[in-house]
Amino acid sequence: MKIVGVAACTVGIAHTYIAQEKMENAGKKAGHEIAIETQGTIGTENELSSQQIQEADIVILAADVKIAGRERFEGKRIIQVPTDVAVKSPNKLIKKAEEVLKQKQAQ
Amino acid sequence: MEISEILNDHTIKTNMDAQSKDEALNELANLLLENEYITDVKSFMKDIYAREEEGQTGIGNYIAIPHGKSNFVKEIGVAIGINKSEIPWESLDGNGVKGIILFAVGNDNEGAQNHLKLLSLFARKLGNDEVIEKLLQSEKTEDVKKAFCN
Repeated sequence: MKIVGVAACTVGIAHTYIAQEKMENAGKKAGHEIAIETQGTIGTENELSSQQIQEADIVILAADVKIAGRERFEGKRIIQVPTDVAVKSPNKLIKKAEEVLKQKQAQ
Repeated sequence: MEISEILNDHTIKTNMDAQSKDEALNELANLLLENEYITDVKSFMKDIYAREEEGQTGIGNYIAIPHGKSNFVKEIGVAIGINKSEIPWESLDGNGVKGIILFAVGNDNEGAQNHLKLLSLFARKLGNDEVIEKLLQSEKTEDVKKAFCN
């Protein structure tokens, strides 16, 4: 499946990027296409394109603060967790995304 | 842009012998002071502890990433300590830590985009299990640098 997401932590210098790396690695390992935008002290990086968002099956927001541009994901299936969850259990998080999508398809 | 640019031989300490979180933080903060990244250890530590209050900085896998923005930071940088033994630390997996990465970032980062970028690339590496494994096994400064730069 195709996953897009945003990582954003309070200080914006550490957890944001660790969460990004962990989610991307876990997603790829599980055979998905995944792109994570980071919103940190430096600003927004790896910004998601509207095409990426449009094509995504699911959105993962790993955030401890309000993210910028949340309206971009309106109408999409969204999973929101604190960055700690993405850092601690990235594989579980991807699994959860798979399950949520399965439920959606079963509906 | 190379991650090695953000690393400094003089702020990396392997075989560290800290017995507590406070000892480890003090030792690393002093390295930052000696190498002119920060201007005052006590005030800098106060800002680091303010972030510690907000939530765990132990990210699991025996790694901690104490950080926080501080007015007492002159230049963006990191101090890395590889401790001989595990020390108690609030962490996501309940374990203590052996690798401590202390981030120094100021509140005013105008003109520091390049350093911030390097720091973000560096932080990203901490999300990689292979990097962490090599980091924890580091015996020498050179090993720490290799862990991040390969």
